[in-house]
Amino acid sequence: MAGKLGAAAATYSPSTGQRRKRPTIQTGSELARPDGRGLHQCRPAFLKTGAVNSASGSAYAEFGNTKVIVSVFGPRESKKAMMYSNAGRLNCNVSYTTFASPVRGQTPETKDLSSMLHKALEGAIILKSFPKTTVDVFALVLESGGSDLPVITSCASLALADAGIMLYDIVASVSVSCIGKNLLIDPVSEEEVHQDGALMITCMPSRNEVTQMTVTGEWSTTKINEAMQLCLDACSKLGKIMRSCLKEAASAPQD
Amino acid sequence: MAAASGTNDLSSEMELDAFRRLFPLSFHERHLLESIRPDGRPLGRARDTSLSLGAVASANGSALAKIGCTTMLAAIKLEVMTPTVEAPDEGCIAIDFHMPPICSPLIRPGRPAEVAPVISKQLSDTILSSGTIDLKELCLVSGKAAWMAYLDIYCLDADGALFDAALLSAVAAFSHLQIPVVSLNDDGRIVLVSEENGGSMKEKEPVNKEKIKLKMNSQPFSLTCILHKNYILADPISEEESIMETYLTVVLDTNYQLVSLNKPGGPGLASTSSIQDCIALAQKRVKELQQILSEAISDMEVD
Amino acid sequence: MVGLSLGEQTFIKGGIDQDLRTDGRKRLTYRPIFVETGIIPQASGSARVKLGATDVIASVKAELGKPNPSYPDKGKVSIYVDCSPTAEPSFEGRGGEELSTELSSALERCLLGGKSGAGAGIDLSSLCIVRGKVCWDLYIDGLVVSSDGNVLDALGAAIKAALSDTAIPKVQVSANAPSDEQPEVDVSDEEFLQFDTSGVPVIVTLTKVGGHYIVDATTEEESQMSSAVSVSINRLGRICGLTKRGGAGLHPTVILDMISAAKHVSEQLMNKLDSEIAAAEACDEMES
Repeated sequence: MAGKLGAAAATYSPSTGQRRKRPTIQTGSELARPDGRGLHQCRPAFLKTGAVNSASGSAYAEFGNTKVIVSVFGPRESKKAMMYSNAGRLNCNVSYTTFASPVRGQTPETKDLSSMLHKALEGAIILKSFPKTTVDVFALVLESGGSDLPVITSCASLALADAGIMLYDIVASVSVSCIGKNLLIDPVSEEEVHQDGALMITCMPSRNEVTQMTVTGEWSTTKINEAMQLCLDACSKLGKIMRSCLKEAASAPQD
Repeated sequence: MAAASGTNDLSSEMELDAFRRLFPLSFHERHLLESIRPDGRPLGRARDTSLSLGAVASANGSALAKIGCTTMLAAIKLEVMTPTVEAPDEGCIAIDFHMPPICSPLIRPGRPAEVAPVISKQLSDTILSSGTIDLKELCLVSGKAAWMAYLDIYCLDADGALFDAALLSAVAAFSHLQIPVVSLNDDGRIVLVSEENGGSMKEKEPVNKEKIKLKMNSQPFSLTCILHKNYILADPISEEESIMETYLTVVLDTNYQLVSLNKPGGPGLASTSSIQDCIALAQKRVKELQQILSEAISDMEVD
Repeated sequence: MVGLSLGEQTFIKGGIDQDLRTDGRKRLTYRPIFVETGIIPQASGSARVKLGATDVIASVKAELGKPNPSYPDKGKVSIYVDCSPTAEPSFEGRGGEELSTELSSALERCLLGGKSGAGAGIDLSSLCIVRGKVCWDLYIDGLVVSSDGNVLDALGAAIKAALSDTAIPKVQVSANAPSDEQPEVDVSDEEFLQFDTSGVPVIVTLTKVGGHYIVDATTEEESQMSSAVSVSINRLGRICGLTKRGGAGLHPTVILDMISAAKHVSEQLMNKLDSEIAAAEACDEMES
């Protein structure tokens, strides 16, 4: 078996020989998105809580081709903690399946996704409500189709709510890509490859507070203003969808 | 038996959930006396099983299998490799079973589950050695190029009978697998022939004519049973697996021929008759699973 | 971890409220910056930056490599930061690792621009030698020697100084190479090209303590923060990257407020840093 796996490095996935890497997105004023959406239109979202039975809480999110499962375990005994702590601990981990990306095993820059998720969530969780213990948030990206981190963050917040962890508010996250002069909300992978800049906002819609924000690329202040407003509006819409998803789950008869 | 009767007395004074947690064994044994299990199943019945094919869009073949709460997602990705000198006209299949931390409270990141490599090995043995898939069918150009099929199975929810669910999802993923049309380009590399520009590629003859499905000779299906005293419990949940530690996995193909039989030790010893009972239960289960698989395939074809 | 008594905490917070911090600075004043360039002879460029008691080293190493097939006309840059266990007790063992990856990705976000390479502080297309075949790979390594808060800004400044110290050898490409083969290149030992650093931004971290925000926080002040925002701004006053560093939520208008404050501070910092770098380079040349 080892010999066969050793040969794995020599394999390649066949590409469509002729149509290679022609940028699908023109940087003109008329901009067509690969999935035919409007520039400021998000992908249809499907959210469901209670995807994993053995977890304290869990959620499944599907935004276009981006599919994510998040499980929450705990509050449970802290493994690492030696010191007494008044506040609880939050532990996040994000991983990808080997088939998440079009090319096998080529996962996107995952090295800091876990800590980004941690930062996006920690401002929303009432850590004082579970002293001495740890809440584990584990995410698995089944398929990566762009805007992975915002989907993971929103899904994780639903899972936390499903687990009954005390939150100040649910957390919704949306990103925009800047291509040329245009702002595209909720970009897919093809758009992310060609983007000139990106802005991601994670916020608590009812409190109107931003828990996490990142910007890459060169932006003017007015453009940042515009992009932030776009994200915040989308976040509050997403927040409503998440709320109704939770309400539905709570009102549904227990099995 | 005195201890058991002692707990029996306690049971009348204690809440059900507390009794279940404090005396799990006697809780289950009292159910077994009545020939029923805590979830309402008779001893020999497996949980509700469902299958859906094509769950992963980015893979060449995929399936989601659910047995009760146990959920498995299997996906196959095809890549091109140069066949080995020993077998120039054969492809290769690499099977990997993953248990990510989301599936169970017992698994933490950075510390892989102990059972995962065991199940991984069992799966490759069952699928590769039984000749279910003819590796020659994965050949593209003899000695030059062949398919390497990476089968990755992810456990999304672990609630007992992991091997049964993993095998079911693997078999279903193979029956969903479509081998794409490819041709050999001038550099000796294999490229995809897409439907739109198929005409312009006329000069390069496709290696294979059309999208084909893999032929499967005889699909293996399995049933895991717990052996506890004189009882045989089919398709255990994780709670039952953790309390009663002896189990037996029977793998049969569609002709009810025995592919694999696995009893990995355990405190209970199996008599010949109980093994035969397990095989009889497995035969019944194979019929059910075959039905479920063919329904899933026809469902997909309707879409 | 800084163990501060309640009194000390109140003292720090009270000082910030009154625009007079414990070390006598105003809220938006940096500590004195000390820059030294060319400290590692083996590297293509290097610099050491001291910001109060925070001490960091950055080095740049240029190597020939192959461009990423998705971006055939661009070179590659990778940034890696290491937190020395001696810099702070909490960095011991694996403690520094998380901070290392966090700093590395924050720096990448601030310096390398969008995925298409637009708006990058480091012009990646200037690193390309033969399209799709040969390019320069820049390996930027940061080392935190001693930490007294505001490590990210110090690293940003050190990388800027190291890049302006960087000399990339001139390369001759043999013209008659067949198109499908790897062309032969001749790296000159004597002629060097100075790296253009005019587009490299500076990083300004604003730390929110109580109702106010401060720049260049010390470790003690950082222990009292509710959240922090790092903004990287180039000479044109345009934002090249932004990272919010955890903590409590912020109102969107506060973030915009912090961005404009950071912009204001960045002008002074940029000028100060430029003159420090120029002085350090002049000093370096005198010695050699």
